[in-house]
Amino acid sequence: MKKLVILLFCAFSAQAEEMEVVGNVESKCIVTPDTAGVYGNPTPDVLSTDPTDGGVDPVVRFDVIQASMYKARILYPTSFSESPALNDVVAWTGDVATSQVSDTGMSGYDAAKVEFDNVTEFSLTVAGSTWFKTETQADYGYGKAFPGGVYRAVVSAECIAI
Amino acid sequence: MYRYLILLLMMSGHANAHEFTPTYPKLKNSYVEGVLYTTMTLFNKRPDVEYYQFNVFDKDWNKVPFAMQDKTMRIKHLEKKKIDVYIREKDRKEVKYICSKSKLVVGGSSKTSISSRICSKIK
Repeated sequence: MKKLVILLFCAFSAQAEEMEVVGNVESKCIVTPDTAGVYGNPTPDVLSTDPTDGGVDPVVRFDVIQASMYKARILYPTSFSESPALNDVVAWTGDVATSQVSDTGMSGYDAAKVEFDNVTEFSLTVAGSTWFKTETQADYGYGKAFPGGVYRAVVSAECIAI
Repeated sequence: MYRYLILLLMMSGHANAHEFTPTYPKLKNSYVEGVLYTTMTLFNKRPDVEYYQFNVFDKDWNKVPFAMQDKTMRIKHLEKKKIDVYIREKDRKEVKYICSKSKLVVGGSSKTSISSRICSKIK
């Protein structure tokens, strides 16, 4: 009888098992829109995202897990994606710069950036997060007032494997 | 090591991001002779985007012919989708980039007006 109790006890006793936790760190780039841009209208013929003009610069964040595997390419807009009918030329200017970094090693990104047309390229040589702000300004005609309505433009944020 | 851990924890909290992996996809033989394929994964964490467009380019950013289920695909918020991209074997040496681009709806609800594009490279 005693043996039977021991057998039953052994059958139902808890067993220690080793469990595995598996993780995988793979190279990747994540693009995250951080701040929505807003156009200020400091004068009738200008729309600008500059905070001193009453606008908000759009900010986009790039996260890379491994260094030197991607480049960030940011294009400021050269046309409106939505606007009232415009019958004169809009002149676009813009600038892209880092606004925040997660690692001090990224402080050289602005000095090393490459600019052409409306494109700015940054080599993401340090792992971590970088926030880029894009300042744009649209000037309408020769001192002409923008017609009333909603204006939208799209900033393109690209992360390209190198 | 801690830096990577912090970065991973930080990235896991994103609820508004576009992710396209792997960084360096490998082309494999498909079940059709003369056609290669690779499987990409897109994770849509952008609540303001539901459609993504895919493209394949050579080193000079010229379009290279490719096939997939839909070249513009609906991927809902927080959905992860595996995507097979098919390329002709004769284009193997030309193919350099496979890209996914978020499509914003004109006059839609997107508050950011930031279009994101991620390109993986075939080495």
